Amino acid sequence: MKDLLRMRTSLSEEIETLLNEQIKVEAHSSATYLAMSSWCNRQGFDVSADYFMKQSHEEREHMLKLFNYVSDLGGHAISPEVVNIPQEYDSFRDVFEKALQQEIFVTQQFNRLADHCMKAKDFVTFNFLQWFLQEQVEEEYVARRALELFDVIGEEGTGRYEIDKAIRKISYDNGGDE
Amino acid sequence: MPTPTNLHELFRTAFGAVYQCNRYNCYFVEFAGGISPFKVADFLDLKQHVDAINVAEMAKNPARAADVYVLMPNRSERCFVLTLTEVLRFQELLQGAKAMMALNSILHECLYSPAYC
Repeated sequence: MKDLLRMRTSLSEEIETLLNEQIKVEAHSSATYLAMSSWCNRQGFDVSADYFMKQSHEEREHMLKLFNYVSDLGGHAISPEVVNIPQEYDSFRDVFEKALQQEIFVTQQFNRLADHCMKAKDFVTFNFLQWFLQEQVEEEYVARRALELFDVIGEEGTGRYEIDKAIRKISYDNGGDE
Repeated sequence: MPTPTNLHELFRTAFGAVYQCNRYNCYFVEFAGGISPFKVADFLDLKQHVDAINVAEMAKNPARAADVYVLMPNRSERCFVLTLTEVLRFQELLQGAKAMMALNSILHECLYSPAYC
């Protein structure tokens, strides 16, 4: 008897569901960064607004990468419903704290997904996830460095103006300083 | 309806059966007085939909509308009007069939290798 399930897709139902959940997480991240960009724009933090806009684009690209992977393997990629996006923040610093928390959450979700792939012996998907796990190192680094600027520069006087300007200088070089 | 030689019974209960059709690569679901074909993805959608029916809510809700659940699967001409007991029987049938499909996949992985056939 033919194996119709496997002929349809090489993804197990469990992994397909988890990938679709991750697609939703990335879509939520993208929308959250967009809201942060809007908030920064309204408060006059021009550089930070651009930074969060760029982050929003990146998260959407991540979402599409996952989405295309599910589709390419014959699975059912679900266009996610994105709700409950916070639009207001307590302070400039609060925005960056929330951004770091967001990245930490995404990393945890990818770790969880990789763990499930290992247990399910889905090494194709596990291998696919390596790029995202590596990417999260950079995402967390940048988010953490941005937040540290608040302590390094200080918020007094023109501090927030200086912090906003310094945001654009943050870059991740993968430890290749030499 | 394909000839019986192309149909393999996957799972049967006292109230219905699910067959696999190797000619059209689909499943036939026999339940509640009818038999309908479903592509693989549509069958899985149907199962998810039936599993998601809130039977506890059906049981405790006194409204007449809650006595039956109307299910219209995607890309199918079939319309199921299910009572609470039929929902439970349908869930049992689809779960059993899905388990047999998964078992068939495992057997294929273990036993079938085109290189050595």
